[in-house]
Amino acid sequence: MGSAGNQGFWFTALLVATLNGAAPLLLAAMGGILSERAGVVNIALEGLILSGAFAGAYFGQHSALIGLVAALTVGAALGLLHAVLTQVTKMNHVVSGLGINLLAAGATRYLTLVLFPDGITSKSLPPAFYLASAAILPAALAFVLRDTRFGLRLRAAGENPESARMAGVSILPVRLVAVTLSGICAAFAGTFLSLGETHTFSRDMSAGKGYIALAAVIFGKWNPAGAAVASLFFGLFYAVQTQLQIRGLNINFLGVEWTSPALLDMLPYLMTLAALISVIGRATPPAALGQEEGSAH
Amino acid sequence: MTKQALLQKFAPAMRPLAGIAAGLAVAAIIMLCSGYHPVAAFAAMWTGATGLEAGPATSDTMIRLGSGHINLFLLAQTLAKITPLLFTGTAIAVGLRAGLFNIGAQGQMLMGALFAAGVGALGKHSAAGDGSINPGLHVLLVLVAGAAAGALWGALSGVLKAYRGVHEVISTIMLNFAALDIIQYLVTHNMKDDAPGSMSAQSPLMAQTAWLWPYVHGSNLTAGILLAIISTFAAALFIGRTSTGLQIRAVGLSPDTARASGIDVRRITVLTMALSGAIAGLAGAVEVMGIHHRYVAGVAGTAGFDGIAVALLGNLSGPGVALSALFFGALASGSGYMETTTNVPAPISEIVQAVVILLVGIKAAIRFRRPGTKAERKETHGISG
Repeated sequence: MGSAGNQGFWFTALLVATLNGAAPLLLAAMGGILSERAGVVNIALEGLILSGAFAGAYFGQHSALIGLVAALTVGAALGLLHAVLTQVTKMNHVVSGLGINLLAAGATRYLTLVLFPDGITSKSLPPAFYLASAAILPAALAFVLRDTRFGLRLRAAGENPESARMAGVSILPVRLVAVTLSGICAAFAGTFLSLGETHTFSRDMSAGKGYIALAAVIFGKWNPAGAAVASLFFGLFYAVQTQLQIRGLNINFLGVEWTSPALLDMLPYLMTLAALISVIGRATPPAALGQEEGSAH
Repeated sequence: MTKQALLQKFAPAMRPLAGIAAGLAVAAIIMLCSGYHPVAAFAAMWTGATGLEAGPATSDTMIRLGSGHINLFLLAQTLAKITPLLFTGTAIAVGLRAGLFNIGAQGQMLMGALFAAGVGALGKHSAAGDGSINPGLHVLLVLVAGAAAGALWGALSGVLKAYRGVHEVISTIMLNFAALDIIQYLVTHNMKDDAPGSMSAQSPLMAQTAWLWPYVHGSNLTAGILLAIISTFAAALFIGRTSTGLQIRAVGLSPDTARASGIDVRRITVLTMALSGAIAGLAGAVEVMGIHHRYVAGVAGTAGFDGIAVALLGNLSGPGVALSALFFGALASGSGYMETTTNVPAPISEIVQAVVILLVGIKAAIRFRRPGTKAERKETHGISG
């Protein structure tokens, strides 16, 4: 029941919160698409985001740009590690991803206690930089996937590696590049948390965002535009959650408080499951996702 | 036994042992690089894990042993850390035997803990927790509640996999988060602790008739460990010696062949996920019965995820899971003690765990279910991210 001015402020706050909530999900989701469209399951997104956030904060104490470059380097290295483990040593993609997540969690906790037990303050990058990146990246990725030779090969690696090989495309380098780029995207998402949003690093800062980004990939049916919309949708939930709490609104029905933060927080997960069981249109992953080359034959 | 036969007998243990050695070596290098003394740190870890200390026994929880003593409290805390790992490692190993990667043990354990706490709070006279139900019966009811809740949460992923082709890795990730949210809602609403002065998000105190009591005063070691050991070996016997277990293994080897030989793959998928979830649920029940006596945040720690490392290092066998739970439990317990006595940060143990997973996982003898034919691939949608 506020004045028109208040209403406008409310809308702006909601919009800003939505974009801030969506940006890291969207950036990491683009990484997820790069990897998964090439046929490599990537649940390492969570650990890649966390590592990026850490490296960004630690190396960004004097210059945010150095922090950014360091974070992207760490992301590339860990992405390459995931690619080599799954493609060269043929490790199960989920095991490799979980291992990298655990490594990132353990290493950042350990290093936090060794390097800056009393906290850390880093320089910052303007949020507009991240929002612009988040606006451009899906379009750029869609273009690369659809209209470039690399994109065609990447999709072939994920859909039908055998035919691709017969056509003279070698799968290994394509996947190595795709998963390394995936690591860079996720680490970039991580720097949003430490350099864009907060100017510091705190333990377990990624707080499950990698898994929600993965949910956005699935909900967006492995398409850049779809995943971008899904990220915005999920971002909106967080924003609404905060606004409802601030304004003390709640809707009680059948003895359940439907507007409680916990239940709203659950929506992205339920929506993703719903998408997978075709309640809201079927989400079908790339055909060769997670399979070793040639193992199906 | 000839040398060759000996080598063959111990061949399956070589890779896990090499993984452990490499993990500890990486930890030593990291400690050196960050200015700590690895030998002192590992010595502290050993003491924390085993309770073996130098010097005379000074309290009644210490037993003299040669020139030193065993600190029973430290040993008990290690065994208490091993308890949930035995459950969750077994839960994940059971799933993997059917080719199902249940990374939802965490959510199933939390659900088990919540329902156990709920049933445990029944029949209470006072806030202090004196209860009216027969203790034996109450303990049994609480265990059943925990197992049932875990089984339901696991079976949900099984149904999604069997009937809608949703990969269990994705559904269990989503259900882990959903479990946290549902529980958070319940402990702040319908299952809120109504004791005066209680502000935190937790369930009411359980009746004492549903508690498990510590073996060593002040420690977390309870009869839960016996239950965990029994579960581990019972599950191994079930998988190895029963006809349903045979069907589970057949589905794990090749769902196509299993189906062709008349096995109901869908039924086995749901059943295996339910069984896996039930064992994870028991882990949650035992934790609340023995340690917290109510549902509180962090009741499961990271046991559901640590179980993955336990199952992989243990090569999915009963004795393997037991030994590997012993190692990871000792590592976790020992590194806590190491942090307090030598200042080396305890998360070094997580790095060890990660290195072990990554090395052992390279050629792990796990037979992940992989869609064989084109038709099968269509049906199950590959291993969707």
